[in-house]
Amino acid sequence: MKKKVFSALLASVMAVSCLAACGGNDVSTTGASSAKDTLVYAQGADPRGLDPQIVDDGESAKVTNQIYEGLLTYAEDSTEVKPCLAESWEISDDGLEYTFKLRQGVKFHDGTDFNAEAVKFNVERNTINKTEDMTYADFVWGYVSKSEVVDDYTIKITLKQPSTPFLANLAMVFGAPMVSPKAAKDGDLMNNPVGTGPYKFVEWKKDQDVKLVANDDYWDTENKAKIKNVVIRTIKDASTKIIDLQSGDVDIIDGIDTNQMENLKKDSNITVSQTPGMNINYMAYNIERLDKETRIALSQAINVDELVKTLYQGYAEKATTVLPTFVPGYSADVKQISYDKDAAKATLEKKGIKNLHVITYTNPRPYNTATGQTLTEAIQGYLSEVGVKCTIDSYDWTTYKDRTIAGDYDICFYGWSGDNGDPDNFMNLMSDTNAGMNVARFNLAKNKDDKAAYEEYSKMISDAAKEPSGDSRNKMYADMEQYVADRAIWLPISHQQDLTACKSNVKNFTYHCTATVKLYKVTKD
Amino acid sequence: MAKKKVLAAEGADIQEAVVIEKPESRFKAMWDTLKKNKAALFGLFVIIILVIIAIIGPYITPYNPNKQIMNDAFQGPSANHWFGTDNLGRDIFSRIIVGTRVSLFVGVAAVAFSLLIGTVLGSIAGYFGGKIDAVIMRIMDIMLSIPSILLAITLMAALGKGIDKAIIAIGVVSIPEYARIIRSSILSTKENDYVAAAKVLGNSDGRIIFHHIIPNVVSSIVVRATLGISTAILDTAALGFLGLGVQPPTAEWGDMLGRVRSMVLVHPYMLIFPGLAITLAVLAFNLFGDGLRDALDPKSRS
Repeated sequence: MKKKVFSALLASVMAVSCLAACGGNDVSTTGASSAKDTLVYAQGADPRGLDPQIVDDGESAKVTNQIYEGLLTYAEDSTEVKPCLAESWEISDDGLEYTFKLRQGVKFHDGTDFNAEAVKFNVERNTINKTEDMTYADFVWGYVSKSEVVDDYTIKITLKQPSTPFLANLAMVFGAPMVSPKAAKDGDLMNNPVGTGPYKFVEWKKDQDVKLVANDDYWDTENKAKIKNVVIRTIKDASTKIIDLQSGDVDIIDGIDTNQMENLKKDSNITVSQTPGMNINYMAYNIERLDKETRIALSQAINVDELVKTLYQGYAEKATTVLPTFVPGYSADVKQISYDKDAAKATLEKKGIKNLHVITYTNPRPYNTATGQTLTEAIQGYLSEVGVKCTIDSYDWTTYKDRTIAGDYDICFYGWSGDNGDPDNFMNLMSDTNAGMNVARFNLAKNKDDKAAYEEYSKMISDAAKEPSGDSRNKMYADMEQYVADRAIWLPISHQQDLTACKSNVKNFTYHCTATVKLYKVTKD
Repeated sequence: MAKKKVLAAEGADIQEAVVIEKPESRFKAMWDTLKKNKAALFGLFVIIILVIIAIIGPYITPYNPNKQIMNDAFQGPSANHWFGTDNLGRDIFSRIIVGTRVSLFVGVAAVAFSLLIGTVLGSIAGYFGGKIDAVIMRIMDIMLSIPSILLAITLMAALGKGIDKAIIAIGVVSIPEYARIIRSSILSTKENDYVAAAKVLGNSDGRIIFHHIIPNVVSSIVVRATLGISTAILDTAALGFLGLGVQPPTAEWGDMLGRVRSMVLVHPYMLIFPGLAITLAVLAFNLFGDGLRDALDPKSRS
């Protein structure tokens, strides 16, 4: 009896504390978003930090992209580069010298001027002064040998070797945005960001939200922020995010589970949007362990078309090649290995392939909302039909990344979200010497054929990176796409759509294909 | 397989104990009381059905439980697929049938595992007392101080996926309970005259424990073990739900629940049927276990 009384007490205490926790949350949320001058955007994780030259996660970028700008920016619906803090630019004939004319009269949020000295500071912060934690510094600025101030509003940047993606990189949300030199020197940009963008930083409550306010002195007077306050809130649970949107606590959400889409579509107070995503969801063979004949047979065993239709229910397109359709270099003529169960079975029997060790991730990813686990089990089902038994080990994402580097697998699952819209950004993954990037371990190929193939592929990659953009460069990438398809380095599976939803009174919200957002245009009726 | 043998041997022991060592009338008296308890009879009935399904299940499923028919995915319950199909186009009815064997086997084997080790440890602690008792029981106390599901999760993480590992993980966490029950029963039983007599006759300690004491404490163990099976089935489901239970594509109820939990609002049937299966099995063992306790307890017998 005593025990019962005690447990009843305990249960009620727990229930009350739960209610208290929820209640507390509600109080802090409702007041803010019902107002027309406040926009609440919910995402699934807290930003890692607010210094765009250090962070590398999409959650941070959603905040920093409102506060900072780079020399260049992407067009609203593509990765075509447009002027931003640089008004115009010239490239020398040898492709080594870039001269940028800077916009005049731009001020950082701390009141300091944006000028050529500030750009020089930013370039040097990423090159000669860079620190270990600047993930994207080399990616964006790696080829830069020096930067020179020509006059107050002109800067010349010199490269060590021609690099076609360089301009596109300057519009990226990581590495490229210009930070205030004064704030970088004496402040803490990770917690107190200072840029030139349409919104200014107000406060960041860790694991809750980041508050921003419109920048009244924004240089682009026609594109000043329409809504005064922006709150970027962290809501980790996917269903809570949806419930908060439906109840009106939140105006916009991203990263929606495909299973919830049908329900959201039925809700007349909510507008959902599906935009093609710049990503690739793929299965990688471990080239160290599986030879070309085996890889081709395994690819033949999998009906990718059927798989993608079932797993993603129309929210992802079947990948016919590595590149998404709208990335330059995409070729519709690439021929992947076609589905042929009987041929696969015959080859695998002949080769004596019966057991494979497969590793995968348990969570959903932006390029695979169905989770790695589900995708892997579907593949396991296909392979069991051709007499191959798969032993699956699944890990959470952080552990999984370590497991791929360790390399103890025959097959692994991975994906990539494009940063800059350049084909090199995708195709280089198979030539990269970093084991965490090149999960097919192509660079570690053991047998002679694969080794030679890797040498040739790497040469194709470095040639294409130097080639100026245009048809001939695109043709080079089309050739590479076919080259890796013929050798079954990856099995490209799908391109996931970016799924977002907002309340129907929210207008002009667009989600960029680099998985970022700009909120200054958004209005609320 | 080794586990199964242990289980059989243990089961036989109990049977033998109940049937041979006890006076015939006591077993009959127990059965008479049990017969009157409708809930316990229902539990027993369901258990028998579950056991039959577990044995013949894999031969009677309408579909191959692991066969993916992608074009048939996400179908609600129908004449073709009684419980519908899951997100990979597998027949849920067939998977639940096959999953019965996994759940029951893990449940029974885990209990047998912890019962065996718990009995040995409890007997030693209770019979010899002193320092041995203190050491064993303090270890048991330490194990009891860790939440059992947390301990099981940790063990699974260390051992890896698989039915055999699930049995060990779930078995290990309930050893202390059995050790405690056995120890306390032995403490009270060992003072009896017939134990002293057995000692005087020169019986070894092992023989005294297993031939003279254990048969007299068996009833309390049987009740605990029956209830323990339901806990073990729940623990199996919990591990499966967390994705730690079985190696895919093996069908397991908790695993079936866990992998489609994000679809609960859109395709509720995918969760309802495995959930019902778990509930039914756990309920059956609980009802039967409760009935058994009442029947074996002289005080509650009418």
